[in-house]
Amino acid sequence: MTSLRADLRLAWELTRGSDRGEWWRVTLTAVGAALATGFALAAVALASLRGWYHVPVASGLLNEPGTRSGVIAGLLLLLVPVLGFLGQCARIGAVHRDRRLAGLRLAGATPWQVRRIAALETGLACLLGSAVATVFSALLLLRLWDRPTALTWAGIALVAVAVPLLGAAAGALALRRVVASPLGWVRRVAPRTGRGPGLLFLAGLLLVGAAALFALLGTSSAASNRPSIGLPLTMVGVVLAVGAGSVWLSGAAARGMGRLLAGRARSAAVLIAAERLRDDPWAAARTHAAVLLVTVVGTGFMGIREVFLDVVRSRENLTERLGYYTLGVDLTGAAVAIALAITLSGLAVGTAESLATRRRGLAAQAAAGVPRAVLGRSLLLETALPLAPAVLLAGLGGTAIGTWYALLAHRPVPWVTALVPLAIYAACLLAVATSLPLLGRSVRPGELRYA
Amino acid sequence: MSRPVPLLTAGGLTKAHGRTTALRGASVELHTGEILAVTGASGSGKSTLLHCLAGIVRPDAGSVTYDGRRLEGLPEKRLSELRRTEFGVVFQFGQLIPELTVLDNVALPLLLAGTDRAGARARAGQWLERFGVRGQEDLRPGELSGGQAQRAALARALVTGPRVVFADEPTGALDSLAGEQVMTALIHTARESGTAVLLITHDAQVAAYADREVRLRDGAVAALGVKA
Repeated sequence: MTSLRADLRLAWELTRGSDRGEWWRVTLTAVGAALATGFALAAVALASLRGWYHVPVASGLLNEPGTRSGVIAGLLLLLVPVLGFLGQCARIGAVHRDRRLAGLRLAGATPWQVRRIAALETGLACLLGSAVATVFSALLLLRLWDRPTALTWAGIALVAVAVPLLGAAAGALALRRVVASPLGWVRRVAPRTGRGPGLLFLAGLLLVGAAALFALLGTSSAASNRPSIGLPLTMVGVVLAVGAGSVWLSGAAARGMGRLLAGRARSAAVLIAAERLRDDPWAAARTHAAVLLVTVVGTGFMGIREVFLDVVRSRENLTERLGYYTLGVDLTGAAVAIALAITLSGLAVGTAESLATRRRGLAAQAAAGVPRAVLGRSLLLETALPLAPAVLLAGLGGTAIGTWYALLAHRPVPWVTALVPLAIYAACLLAVATSLPLLGRSVRPGELRYA
Repeated sequence: MSRPVPLLTAGGLTKAHGRTTALRGASVELHTGEILAVTGASGSGKSTLLHCLAGIVRPDAGSVTYDGRRLEGLPEKRLSELRRTEFGVVFQFGQLIPELTVLDNVALPLLLAGTDRAGARARAGQWLERFGVRGQEDLRPGELSGGQAQRAALARALVTGPRVVFADEPTGALDSLAGEQVMTALIHTARESGTAVLLITHDAQVAAYADREVRLRDGAVAALGVKA
């Protein structure tokens, strides 16, 4: 206990004495934790309702158990881009953090102590975000709901505790493959490959297979009112498979592009970008994966929205409750837009961090005569090149969902949704471009003077 | 009369970094309270030898024995404990943690060992005073001069009362006056407390502080010398 207290104190002192970059990491991690807590608390509060219940917001959308389940699923799915954003935040100042951890090891800290201190640093930031979100959510809940049930409060307490704990665990897990050496290098125990996402992808497919098997067994069973585990299992499996598949696709696309272009590049910017992609194709895979997921979901949603509203408007019995249906669809759209905004923020943060980490290399290139415009273009190309085929594929996937829904509803295929991937691609390039002003500071030859 | 048993012994050390072989069967001995200088040209394997002796790097072949214990067989946790309690390490740039104050940097090995904060800080303060860095306790390392930072790093290396201090080019980044101050402080404290010092340097003036000198060439011991 004394040791934990000493480590906690040390983690606090390290955070307190950190530079601006580290404070950015703490702030953004706290924001991410607050978002995760907020979404999870909303889902928990809704999940604690039983049967038909009058909820005084969202035009009655949350009153019925069926539509409420959909909203809960949407809120939980919003955690995916939030986690991607948190992962991106964890990379901020990674180089400085590794040096600091190496300093601790040099002073005699064991690898376990270093992991614990790193976990506590992340946990403290998550605790801050989670506490703020919990207080605001509880106050909002008390305004909307006279007497929240004991189950609701238990769920709220669970989320408030679980988010910082999960954040701390993720902080420790991030060092799982990294052994901070007392010499200040970071030795990677395993080479960076796409094996991890590949295994997760297979695990996801296995879960879907298991769910199908359960479904098959369920149909032959007499107990029809038994609670179904098939749907949650399928959902988890699909999310795992699609998420991991996106990471793998993104990394593989980056590696393929890097290899293809490195030998054929005709301009300095393309050559620099291609070599960088070939050298470390998995660097941005997580952020790009979140973009791909949002592209599939966004394109698919737009297709479904067009067809669904077309169906609602064409049927008189449904037109009477047009506001109800429109609100449901618009809320889903807002959720997708929030996911896109979070993902784009993650992309911008990731690019800024990449610039900060490579500033000495960039300064060396600038000192060797590489124009700043070339470096700026190469930075944009690092995102643009691997993202183009991946977004195209994701867009096709989303369009296929819309087309399938249109065919089911006997409506014309909403081809206009094909514009969604283009818009997302452009937004990604804009997000990356927001980091370009930092390039001016990074390429100063003065950066070469510091060890 | 039998020879005294060395505190630290390395025999036949070999270590390669990728395709570059840094050490080729190097052997050295360090006795209690002895100040040993390891000299040699850049790339001769001096720093790698220190890293192997301090248990920071495991050699590919050969053995390191400290106080009767073989280091290569010890788990990482035990090696960390050794560095925390019985070894002190100082590098060219001190390796102080920029986020902590000077006082907390010096107190760090004690805090990691579980000493209470007040006690650790009090002892760290005494060492800083001893090394002439009193009054700068609450500054960050970046606010100190090179000589002050290096003396603070020495205080950190000595705060746990180690039996061996490993110093890798401790004056390499300092001007001659600051370098002399650092060396005087180190040697004086080592003599007073009976701490052995393994000093890596390519500077003959720094090597002159040692009792004995080992010269490395291409990863092997080229010459051994005892000072008059």
